[in-house]
Amino acid sequence: MSYILQTNHLTKTIGGKTLVKNINIHIKKGEIYGFLGPNGAGKTTVMKMITNLWKPTEGIIEIFGKPLTVQSYEALKRMGSIIEFPTFYEHMTGYENLVLHSEYMGYYNHGSIENALDMLGLTDAAKKLVKNYSLGMKERLGIARAILCKPELLILDEPTNGLDPAGIKQIRELLKTLCTEYGITVMISTHILSEIESIADRIGIIHHGTMKKEISMKEIEQMSFAYIELSVQNEKKAAYLLSEKLKLSNFKIVEKETIRIYDNHVSTQEISRVLTQNDVPVVAIGKKAETLEDYFLKLTAEVGNDVETD
Amino acid sequence: MMWKLIKLEWKKNNIGKYIRNAVILAAILCLFIFSLAYLGIANDPDTGIPDAAPNNGTISSPIELFTSMSFLIFTSVMLSTFIVSAYKNKTMNLMFSYPIKRQKILISEMLAVWIFNFAALVLTKLLIYGCVLLGSRFFVSSFPIDFHMESVSFHIQLVIKSMVTVTIGFIALFIGMVMKSSKATILSSFLLILFTQANIGDLTMAGNAVFPIVLTGISLVFAFLSICRVEIDDLM
Repeated sequence: MSYILQTNHLTKTIGGKTLVKNINIHIKKGEIYGFLGPNGAGKTTVMKMITNLWKPTEGIIEIFGKPLTVQSYEALKRMGSIIEFPTFYEHMTGYENLVLHSEYMGYYNHGSIENALDMLGLTDAAKKLVKNYSLGMKERLGIARAILCKPELLILDEPTNGLDPAGIKQIRELLKTLCTEYGITVMISTHILSEIESIADRIGIIHHGTMKKEISMKEIEQMSFAYIELSVQNEKKAAYLLSEKLKLSNFKIVEKETIRIYDNHVSTQEISRVLTQNDVPVVAIGKKAETLEDYFLKLTAEVGNDVETD
Repeated sequence: MMWKLIKLEWKKNNIGKYIRNAVILAAILCLFIFSLAYLGIANDPDTGIPDAAPNNGTISSPIELFTSMSFLIFTSVMLSTFIVSAYKNKTMNLMFSYPIKRQKILISEMLAVWIFNFAALVLTKLLIYGCVLLGSRFFVSSFPIDFHMESVSFHIQLVIKSMVTVTIGFIALFIGMVMKSSKATILSSFLLILFTQANIGDLTMAGNAVFPIVLTGISLVFAFLSICRVEIDDLM
């Protein structure tokens, strides 16, 4: 399996204190990788090493199939990043900041700046000095800068800080678009699970400087299946049909008009069809599953401590 | 490539502001020296003789002293803004995310400051010497005029002294970078002025020919020390 980015036993120690230890990350080309962890878990430390701002104490980072070294400047050309918070030349306009970025990156593509500003909804603010931008606007300008040169790999460290709910939704949709339409691989760190639950293909969970789990969202969905909850007007007849027609044995009537089915080989559509055909109207039916939040909390074992799960 | 980086440094640090300030500084210095020479502001009120330190009795001494002092401070202020503050306000994080060798980035920043201040200092000195010379046609100078603008050696000396003055700023830069402080950078330049213009016993540091050469050498060593580990050090 080839990865666009992988780390092998990545460790960082500063002043005798180990910030992260034996971090193994595997990111495939074209996927959105959610890097999850509570505040202070070590997400930024790892991302600083990936962007070459910090050098690993031990371990290897491999980007675009090559080990990252102090001389890996070509790799930086193919990456876009925001680490911690985006910084700008505040006396310049948003547009001028992006022009400057293009100059340093050696990227000259007509219309790319306007396009990036448009994608982030900053066209009208482009001529304003950055010192007059709100926190959310700066965050969006930072993302515009990160995607400006069409990077193959986008490293975003908590990019939605300071954004309102509409802004967060916009960024989520933008990342999905970048991934599907432009084939950009995205690594995004956050401590707000709902931000990436709907867009990530894989997640890595880091806690106290160690990688707890790396898993695809599909695997989480499969693992986390709990039961199908069924609401019907006639639960006794429904139970009979489940048993006789669908050959289900692992279900129980939990209360009047509510049945829980624990067999996972039958679809909700099939259950609905059989019950309706046999004159048992289905009031409601739905899969109940463990959420990413439950999974995360189970792994980090810090219920409601410093993790935001809104 | 390096010239392009230097121009980008000027652009992003709003060089127009520094040009304006350098012009104001040059004008103030010119007016001050002109007043020293022709308006007698340094003359003793009782005797009417200029109240100058021994060996500093000619007009070129105050010109060299005040222009060097002023532009050494100007250089350190610019170095602190271009480099030390960039570390503090994290714009250096952005700079080091570009596919450009870190040492090249720092050298371009140092050169951007050096070239600007060298040019400004040379032009300021030429302006002041020119004004003093022009004034001598109409007034009598309180200080003897001891320079010949038509001689080549005058211009060579002017250029070399300006190079030494601006280069000394790298010592202040190193101190500022080690202490991670813009204030330390500027304060160091004041201490360097005291040191370079000091008289210790019979030894006059400012008048010693070997001293500027040694100081330039030391300054270049400090410039090297400022950038030598930048590729491997973590950007904190």
